[in-house]
Amino acid sequence: MAYREVDPITLQVIGGAFDTIAKEMGHVLYRMSFSSIIRESQDLGAGLFDANFNTLCESDSTPLHIGSIPGYLRGIQETLQGGEWHEGDVIIHNHPYYGASHSPDVAVVIPIYWEGELVGFSANTAHHVDIGSATPGLIIDIPDVFGEGMLFAGIKLFERGKRNDAIWQFIGHNSRMPKQLQDDLNAQIAAAELGARRFQELIRTYGKETILAAANQLMDYSERILRKRIAEIPDGEYRAEGFLDDDGRNRNQRLPIKVAVRVAGDSVEVDLTGSSPQVPTGFNVPFEGSTKVACFFAFRALLLDTATSNEYVPQNEGSFRPIKVIAPKGSIFNPEFPAAAEARFTQCNRVIDLIVKALAPVLPGRVTAGNSASLSFAAYSGLRPGGDYWVFLEVNEGAYGGRATSDGPDAIDNLMCNTRNNPIEDLGMHLPMVCDRYELRDDVMPGAGKYRGGIGVVKVQRLLTDGSITHENERHTDVPWGAFGGGEGAVGKVEVFNIADTATVRSLPAKFSGLATKAGDAMAFYAPCGGGYGDPLEREAEQVVDDVLDGFCTPEHALAAYGVVLTAAGALDRAATLKRRRELGSAAGHGSAAAAS
Amino acid sequence: MAKIGVDVGGTFTDLILETVLDGVPSVFVHKVPSTPSDQSQAVLKGIAEICGMAGVRPQDVTLVVHGTTVATNITLEHTGAEVGMLTTRGFRDILHIARHKRPHNFSMQFDVPWQSKPLVKRRNRIPISERILPPSGAVAVPLAEDEVAAAAELFKSRGIEAVIVGFLFSFLNDAHEKRAAEIVRAAMPDAYVCCSSEVVDVMREYERFSTTAMNAYVGPKTSFYLRNLERKLREAGFAAELRVMQSNGGVATVETCTEKAVTILMSGPAGGVIGGRWAGELSGEANIITIDIGGTSADISTIPGGEIKIMNPRDTYVGAYPVLAPMIDLATIGAGGGSIAYIDEGGAFRVGPRSAGADPGPVCYGKGGREPTVTDAQVVLGRLDADKLLGGDLKVDRALAAKAISETLAKPLKMSIEEAALGILRVINSNMALAIRANSVARGYDPRQFALMAFGGAGPLHGAALATEIAAREMIVPPAPGITAAIGLLVTDMRYEFTRSVLTLLNTANQSDLDRINTDIEKLEQLCRERLAADGVPQARQRFLRIAECRYQGQGFELRAAMPEEALSFRNRDLVIANFHESHRRDYGYAFEGSAVEVVTLRVVGSAPVEPLRWPSLKQAGGADIAQACLYRRPTVFDDGRTLDTPRYDRDRLLAGHVVPGPAIILQHNATTLIPPDYVARVDASSNIHVQRVRAA
Repeated sequence: MAYREVDPITLQVIGGAFDTIAKEMGHVLYRMSFSSIIRESQDLGAGLFDANFNTLCESDSTPLHIGSIPGYLRGIQETLQGGEWHEGDVIIHNHPYYGASHSPDVAVVIPIYWEGELVGFSANTAHHVDIGSATPGLIIDIPDVFGEGMLFAGIKLFERGKRNDAIWQFIGHNSRMPKQLQDDLNAQIAAAELGARRFQELIRTYGKETILAAANQLMDYSERILRKRIAEIPDGEYRAEGFLDDDGRNRNQRLPIKVAVRVAGDSVEVDLTGSSPQVPTGFNVPFEGSTKVACFFAFRALLLDTATSNEYVPQNEGSFRPIKVIAPKGSIFNPEFPAAAEARFTQCNRVIDLIVKALAPVLPGRVTAGNSASLSFAAYSGLRPGGDYWVFLEVNEGAYGGRATSDGPDAIDNLMCNTRNNPIEDLGMHLPMVCDRYELRDDVMPGAGKYRGGIGVVKVQRLLTDGSITHENERHTDVPWGAFGGGEGAVGKVEVFNIADTATVRSLPAKFSGLATKAGDAMAFYAPCGGGYGDPLEREAEQVVDDVLDGFCTPEHALAAYGVVLTAAGALDRAATLKRRRELGSAAGHGSAAAAS
Repeated sequence: MAKIGVDVGGTFTDLILETVLDGVPSVFVHKVPSTPSDQSQAVLKGIAEICGMAGVRPQDVTLVVHGTTVATNITLEHTGAEVGMLTTRGFRDILHIARHKRPHNFSMQFDVPWQSKPLVKRRNRIPISERILPPSGAVAVPLAEDEVAAAAELFKSRGIEAVIVGFLFSFLNDAHEKRAAEIVRAAMPDAYVCCSSEVVDVMREYERFSTTAMNAYVGPKTSFYLRNLERKLREAGFAAELRVMQSNGGVATVETCTEKAVTILMSGPAGGVIGGRWAGELSGEANIITIDIGGTSADISTIPGGEIKIMNPRDTYVGAYPVLAPMIDLATIGAGGGSIAYIDEGGAFRVGPRSAGADPGPVCYGKGGREPTVTDAQVVLGRLDADKLLGGDLKVDRALAAKAISETLAKPLKMSIEEAALGILRVINSNMALAIRANSVARGYDPRQFALMAFGGAGPLHGAALATEIAAREMIVPPAPGITAAIGLLVTDMRYEFTRSVLTLLNTANQSDLDRINTDIEKLEQLCRERLAADGVPQARQRFLRIAECRYQGQGFELRAAMPEEALSFRNRDLVIANFHESHRRDYGYAFEGSAVEVVTLRVVGSAPVEPLRWPSLKQAGGADIAQACLYRRPTVFDDGRTLDTPRYDRDRLLAGHVVPGPAIILQHNATTLIPPDYVARVDASSNIHVQRVRAA
């Protein structure tokens, strides 16, 4: 459909209104919701979409949700209850083989009507704590998609404004946390209704034609900007590869990831051919809702970096158009029915990290060294004295690799993950759990470099009653890479012990499902540390001394990796440092300039 | 007898003096250039000058209320104290990890301010063996006093000026924090020492520790500044009490602000909101949305029914750092006279948030600015008279502004200069209108029931268009738009707040739970009472407001619910629950009526009303024609693109009852009020000007 061009001033005004609506929808959803994974972690997405499922605007919440909703809408179109949209409908949908990102991310969608005509959709997705999966909260080791729990495809929670009591009653009996699930769905409905109302107000003010024309122009704008950035990259194919620890069941069987980035003019193609075939557990990645979204994220973060650009580029479909994603059917990044595909986050983050690695030679100022690029997603659960379940999902942070002009941030959510932690005190007051340790790791050093890698976290959570833990995690074997002469980071680890006998420590793989725990059992999670960027011998010696003082670096590491010698009092020994750096420099074949700095 | 309000801004320090001359209440206003290196110089100079203008002797001044950015600037410039911290062993990095969320979703090169510019360096965060456990506050590991003493010695050897104690679960049991602070104070008698349970006694470790760290970071310098100012006033012969505007819109003594410097971080913009409310009261208008438009930013706040709203504690940040100190719920956006207009590389028409600031300033100032600004657009459209800015004190060049707009915007977009200038205003007004809606509509308030109070130098120029865009009833221009924030200082209450986390499910609370809440709230009220009494407020003038900050069981964010004045009982607890449902419905449009309600934090606000400033009434116009106030007429371009010959009126000569039909412009020394065609302005006896649309354009 061709629209009359909207003038740049009106366009700016409407663009601002779109952003405000998306923000407001996201705000209502996370402030109102009950499960900590939505309210604290903000594991949600919300926005408005046109009648052809193009994104008009999206909330700036968790990146993995951004860009995934059009896939849900297409899936709903295929499966819609009764086959037709009606005014007053509210749809619930989470089927991973009909466009969902993964099954716990449940979408609520409301069709928006104007003068009797369907003009668009108000929709949001939110991660629910428990949809009745095989193990409480999270699942990895299951045979197929039906172990993931309730699958909704195009189901109407409300039809023409009338509540579908049967489905609500069904939901109430198929989750370990039925009240929380239903309350959170109500919060999602409130946010979607708000979006629908705001969209109608916008049409009332500016007219339908103008609004839809402006939406198209805003998409073109985002596309234009991203294409400009892509065009600045030299044409060519850039490759990188890594591997995953295992699939969560078949131990010691590494799974390759191969990334080829092909830049041609102002377009780019990400080809994952050669990566592992699909796996027999839930460790697969839905293609539409997750694999593609991860690739979109990588280019947005690299090329439209909000920390280094002056202007905000609207969050819409335009920023996806220049990027083509290829993953063969039947591979881990494009599984075939009925493979399970719930535990997909860490593979997404690894793809992004490998895109970064592949492009590092041509984008040295925009990349990082190797990131933690995994996710620690833990589900703790048990029964309350009254017999009800409690389930708590915790996202643990990672760390970034060093950058061209700054150290990699420590203990922070990595890449496509950007959640909030749960206050230790709030948890302690409401769950039979106690946090015994939460600080930076001191058992390993991050990647050394002119700019060091970020330091991972160590978190120890202890259960006060018998229960169960499932842990979705990666990176116990493939260490984050160092860039441009920087050192490698450090892999992660997981340990389990009981408070009564802290000397007996059991090492566990990164992923495990439904580990039965006794009262007093504690899990210690150690996050991977980022790789270093640039030659460590070029790091300011005074900075290394400060790092030692702050405990970011041991005196031994300062000497070995940075060639920095400290006096007994902890001050810089200039002469000894110069000498040491010369020795290390010539041993490594460095020029004298680097050694002298 | 005289009272003085002195408000420090980035460019000017504004003053107001209220006194009674020959039995008639009189008001004087004054402005002096600010002295950023030491704010007190301009403050003292301004006070001396305004006393001279009013013929008031120093010893006759009874009260000086100060709005200051001194604490805020310490955070902006990162010039705070070197702070040491004692914290629970195993949790050394709570301040470093924060909430583990990045400041950017889509970025690889982002900065993490709390890691790159920490309030407490890691070397100075010393873990101490001690452990308090939930939910009862039982001691699992006793405090290692020897470790505390050793840490204090280390701090001394490092020359540290301020020390904080932040232990986990201190909101359940503060004994370890108190004891550790005692040991540190004994070892470091000159240090600024505070514990987290003293600064803000609430649950959530990161926010509590961050607030405490911020307090210690700004505390020493802030208290030095305030004490120094107090001393210099004495030396100059002033016997007046010095009071300071806090972020919550109430004033407090120097003593309190020294202890809790964290309460005055948002002192600056608070005065404007209070001043806006006061101006509304002059016209009997309680529903007010304030917009204070300056050179680089605009502050927006919604005041329903005359009640200043306080921001949700989850949203109170200073820079990137959470600060759990009550702050007026106001939004600041990068939109002002200096906001720069440009076309970005994708062809989008942008205005702000980048600003030309005071230097070089707008292009028309002729000080080297090359990029057109909002002020340049106003000048080009004839809405600001090039020869009359600041009453003619500031000469500007219209041709320079026109050239910049032409080259930067009009030519590339194939528009006329006027169209481009109107576009600048449309985009900036839209940005401001969206921010107003986010602060009102999105929080459950309907602007159609509000008047827009527009002030700051540029407020009354934008106000009529903004009022229409948000569908407010009218715009009101207060008597002195340029010094509204200073007026706010003389019209607000003394105000102190204390909090305590209680975590109780209201629906199932038993008698002992209710008793505990009642005991706690009595204690909090007692703390307020002591503070007010220490300030010399007699009991009869003390007011107390009891608030329960609640959430539905399982939620993570609290909202305020009013509590009854009498003790909480089985009978009246449903009232608190109903108040919470109502808050939830207003903020989010939905209430979970069947869900259990949990009180998380109790808050008591103790206040003492002050005698409000009396602004002299205007004389009635009677038969006097407005023509006598007309200065001259000039062509002016309005939003519909029409250029109309538009009269300029002198505000000082407009009298009560005068009606000024649009198109018209009303001039006064540091503000210009634009009345578009189809609008009409009515001058109130209170001196307010009310501008309303009379018919749709």
